[in-house]
Amino acid sequence: MTELSTEPFVHPALFYQGEEEYLQGTVPFIRDGVKAGEPVAVAVPGPNLALLKAALGEDVAKVKFLDMTEAGRNPGRIIPRVLRAFADTHRQTRVRIIGEPIWAGRSTVEYPACVQHEALINPAFQGRDVTILCPYDADRLDEQALTDAHATHPVIISGGRERPSTAYAPEHVVDRYNQPLEQPAAAEELVFQAGQLPAARRFAVEQAARCGLSGVRLEDVALIVAELTTNSVVHGGGSGTLRVWADDSQVVCEVRDHGYLGDPLAGRRPPAGDKLGGRGLLLVHTLADLVRIHTGTEGTTVRCYISHH
Amino acid sequence: MGSSGEAGAPSASPGPPTSALRVLPLTDRPGWQAAGEVSLITRPAWEQALCHLARSDEETCHLELSAVTFVDVAGVSALAMTAQGLPQGRRIVIEEPPATLRRVLDLFWPDLLTVEVIGR
Repeated sequence: MTELSTEPFVHPALFYQGEEEYLQGTVPFIRDGVKAGEPVAVAVPGPNLALLKAALGEDVAKVKFLDMTEAGRNPGRIIPRVLRAFADTHRQTRVRIIGEPIWAGRSTVEYPACVQHEALINPAFQGRDVTILCPYDADRLDEQALTDAHATHPVIISGGRERPSTAYAPEHVVDRYNQPLEQPAAAEELVFQAGQLPAARRFAVEQAARCGLSGVRLEDVALIVAELTTNSVVHGGGSGTLRVWADDSQVVCEVRDHGYLGDPLAGRRPPAGDKLGGRGLLLVHTLADLVRIHTGTEGTTVRCYISHH
Repeated sequence: MGSSGEAGAPSASPGPPTSALRVLPLTDRPGWQAAGEVSLITRPAWEQALCHLARSDEETCHLELSAVTFVDVAGVSALAMTAQGLPQGRRIVIEEPPATLRRVLDLFWPDLLTVEVIGR
């Protein structure tokens, strides 16, 4: 790059068409890192993971691999539990990560959270000696996903050429996808204050069980709803409304209150081990399969999707 | 929330489980047993119990939680902070906690050597 920049964090999007371009855009990036002694992690969907492992030969042993459809199923946990989990353990040297959080199978409900995640990588890693390369399947993703990638990445690599993105505007993207959430056809509802926190948690677990959740997933519902409802009581005006409903193969738990969530990175920072607070939203992002948030001056809605398995 | 009916037979009453937290000293080994749940409302009682535990002279303190139905993340955090602050050689044995406590501990403090979790 020729521009004058002292920012050490590098965050290019790689637009690829087909396996050959995928490997051309990723394998040299991995090999150069390995050769330079830099830690390298690859978090991409399973089929691309298999493709890369087959292409890397002996270098496979020097790279950390994660299936992004598992580790990053909820895009809200990718920064703390995938990217920073790796980068923070290697703070003494430059770190390379390939992160592919948006693939053709992402649903329209998931997509806004995916774009916000891509945008928030920039402030989350500002000043860090890290490169995060994000592949985009230009054949199978729709036009909007590629347009958004220009806004969430300062650099675009396409057809083997690298150039700065003229549309880079990550804060704008976070705002634009902060939209009111679509209303469910029907839901069980409970209004709570501090005195009803235990009742709200039990209500959510009962409703989730009625919708077919069991075992560990019911424990997740208890933990998630306890955090969200407690947040409403402590930070969201003292009360809130809890709703639970079934949505295809998932159960949705939603908490609405009169608070404003002004920090888009809340719940996306790994906590300091010796600090008491700061784990509530991180836990919610870690356990839920998807978290959608709408926040504004009129209040905040947090919606968590929990799958049956 | 009333606190009646929690001292006797645990499952005898058909009403909803208690939202209070009751902490009593163990009679046969050093430590405390708790009953109820740890959430925003009962956090002061939980932190007080942890404070007693931290100040104890015993090398190993037991925390018997078989009658605790839920511990929220702040409750597990307070436990982890207490454990991290213990002087060299001391530890806490958590007996039969609710499953969520172990999960949250594993998630955020996987290397906490001063806490041993047994049972349930």
